[in-house]
Amino acid sequence: MRTTMLSVVVGVGLLLGGVTLSAHHAFSSEFDANRPVKFKGTVSKMMWVNPHAWIYVDVKNADGTVEEWMVEAGTPNTLLRRGFTKASLQPGTEIMVDGYQSKDGSKRANGRDLTLPDGRTLFLGSQEPGQAPPK
Amino acid sequence: MKRQFLSSVLFAALAAAIIPSAFVLAQTGAAPAASKPAPAAKAATAKTEKAWTPKKTPWGDPDLQGVWNDATSTPLQRPAGKGEAVLNEEQADQFAEQLANDLSRDRRDGGNEVDVNRAYNEHWMDARRLKITQDRRTSLIVDPPDGRIPPTVQISPERQKLRAERNAAAARFNAGMPDVATELSLPIRCIIRTDSPPYLPTIYNNDFQIFQSPGYVVIGPEMIHSARIIPLDGRPHLGPTLKQWLGDTRGHFEGNTLVIETTNFRPDDGTVYQGANPDTFKITERFTRVADDAINYEFTVSDPLTWTKPWTAMVPWTKIDPKEQMYEYMCHEDNFDIVHLLSGARAREKNPALNLQQPTKTR
Amino acid sequence: MRTRVWRVITPLGFAVIVAVVWLLPVAGQQARPTPQASAFPAYKAPRLDGHPDLNGIWQAFVTANIDLEDHEAQSGPYPEMLGAYGGWPAGQSIVEGGTIPYKPEALAKKKQNVANRMKVDVSNDKTWHDLGDPEMKCYMPGIPRATYMPFPFQIVQGTSPYILMAYEFATATRTIRMDWKQEAPTDTWMGWSRGHWEGDTLVVDVTGQREETWFDRAGNYHSDMLHVVERFTPASAYHLMYEATIEDPKVYTRPWKISFPLYRRTEKNLQLLEYKCVPWTEEMLYGKFKKGTK
Repeated sequence: MRTTMLSVVVGVGLLLGGVTLSAHHAFSSEFDANRPVKFKGTVSKMMWVNPHAWIYVDVKNADGTVEEWMVEAGTPNTLLRRGFTKASLQPGTEIMVDGYQSKDGSKRANGRDLTLPDGRTLFLGSQEPGQAPPK
Repeated sequence: MKRQFLSSVLFAALAAAIIPSAFVLAQTGAAPAASKPAPAAKAATAKTEKAWTPKKTPWGDPDLQGVWNDATSTPLQRPAGKGEAVLNEEQADQFAEQLANDLSRDRRDGGNEVDVNRAYNEHWMDARRLKITQDRRTSLIVDPPDGRIPPTVQISPERQKLRAERNAAAARFNAGMPDVATELSLPIRCIIRTDSPPYLPTIYNNDFQIFQSPGYVVIGPEMIHSARIIPLDGRPHLGPTLKQWLGDTRGHFEGNTLVIETTNFRPDDGTVYQGANPDTFKITERFTRVADDAINYEFTVSDPLTWTKPWTAMVPWTKIDPKEQMYEYMCHEDNFDIVHLLSGARAREKNPALNLQQPTKTR
Repeated sequence: MRTRVWRVITPLGFAVIVAVVWLLPVAGQQARPTPQASAFPAYKAPRLDGHPDLNGIWQAFVTANIDLEDHEAQSGPYPEMLGAYGGWPAGQSIVEGGTIPYKPEALAKKKQNVANRMKVDVSNDKTWHDLGDPEMKCYMPGIPRATYMPFPFQIVQGTSPYILMAYEFATATRTIRMDWKQEAPTDTWMGWSRGHWEGDTLVVDVTGQREETWFDRAGNYHSDMLHVVERFTPASAYHLMYEATIEDPKVYTRPWKISFPLYRRTEKNLQLLEYKCVPWTEEMLYGKFKKGTK
């Protein structure tokens, strides 16, 4: 009952005129709390678009096959204000994705926690012009 | 059973209205208890600050130009249990810390249901939204003195029906099972977002660029791109049959304060704030530059068919340029989520086995 | 006797002289070319903060949004439903030289665009933008298309480092950063506009535009290497002459230019009105995913 109440509250808040509620998007509507995922992959490209940036990640399976995952992230505008640009995440970069998979089971996840293999959080801090992008 | 559901939905609607923005996703508990009216407390306002004279544009209007940010953790409504309108420094530090902790997206506690809604790392959000307002208020609402939205009035059967339909659509959305694109909310359809007045803080892109030219002030919110072009020449509003999603705005300066009034809202459900009635909804907004890097933004809304009395909130704006800028925010063009939601729903209808009841192991 | 003859000859001679002077400019000439700024009497726009004041509501009256090049009138889509309502008027090319200098291998894509301009398929994120005229989907028109859409736009020029251009179509906006060094941090639908003054001309350099924008409904397109340089020159109190040089080494053999006048809208109390077309596209884009379909 509590879950239902929360979800109705979230939903109604969203539909009330004017975006007072934090999300233009209750992420749990698309991504499944019952499908947590954690994987390492190689970035093939990042789309710096609104309303959500998308990071395409190639993930190698144990049997050697490669599957492509699409990882949803936030608005790129926040990153641009801190000096990051579309050159800041180069194809070939390895990243760790900790998130939740799409409710329909497709290879999409929200990037709940994105880190580099050395533990640094992706896009944390700011990037001065001329600084090497995180590798 | 139906009446229980309806009343719980109505309660949820009220709860959504009174739960401060972003609190909902951080909390797992039930809706807050009704608050007691606070003793009269004088909230710090611009009037108590030292008078400051803004520069004027070459044509004599107070200069409001620049890129401004309105993010804050201070809730719209005074939280239950907080009697004071303004806190002392120690209380304020505690309040700020508690809010920042509640709102932080880097937290992973609370179970998967809560965690998934936090969505991303904290730094994808606007860092300024973890700070309370400098004047240490406990709510953005300054009137009524208790810092809460006034009680709502009984709405008409037609509006109740619309609310019920919206709530049903919201429930489908939350379950990830929307029927059709047009039942999704206006922000998700990328029709209006934070550009719909009143301007209130949200999780990111809390930015507004103000442009001025002789006879005009123009406000460009970051989400979604749109220019609120405000004539200052005293011309009448558009005629009553010309209605717009963002209404029609007219402005004038009262001393150093830009005062704007907006009318002519479309009758579509969700067009005006908190589901108020577009025909009787009134909104007045005031912009006063109180320092080189600060504007006090104040709005008063009223609708006798929704609230028992008008209410007013003040949100401080901070200048962020030239160091930071506002960037293009287009929305409909790359709105992949709508298709993900709809096609995902259709896939799950076809194959119910996709609906997991138990969490899977992590990869 | 002599006086009477003169009374006839003089007015007759005068009439002949007048007729010759009147007809001379037209005799032996074809249709007048588009007036250049130089054809107007010398004009110096009023100043705002030391610069020409371009504030106002402006509109183009060319039909370039249909096709930058010469185009006949046509019925438009679904005449069996729309009749003359759906018709698209004829227009003359605004391209200097008449035609866009496509590389031969790049012309195929333009033809493909026209063939697919009314198709949409958003079922796959990766091919989301492959089909359909962005205008039809109510997507942003980009630059220069926004300038010649059949809608007014407002220039808001103040004393900040930014000039705003607000377009009525789909509430599109773009901000021109004046004397700006920073390059486009990412690609955007309306491009990254940086401006500076050259005498009385506002010169705007546009880079970083999303490659998905089109120039018109005739499928004229560009790549991610598009570079547009616009020139806005006030020619009178009511005319703003517009020129845009377009280059894209991936698609064209050389840079090419378009030009046309922008006219000041002078109706009393005129304002931009909303043209929010997103709701009109939702059935077209998302209808096949609604409950109960198939």
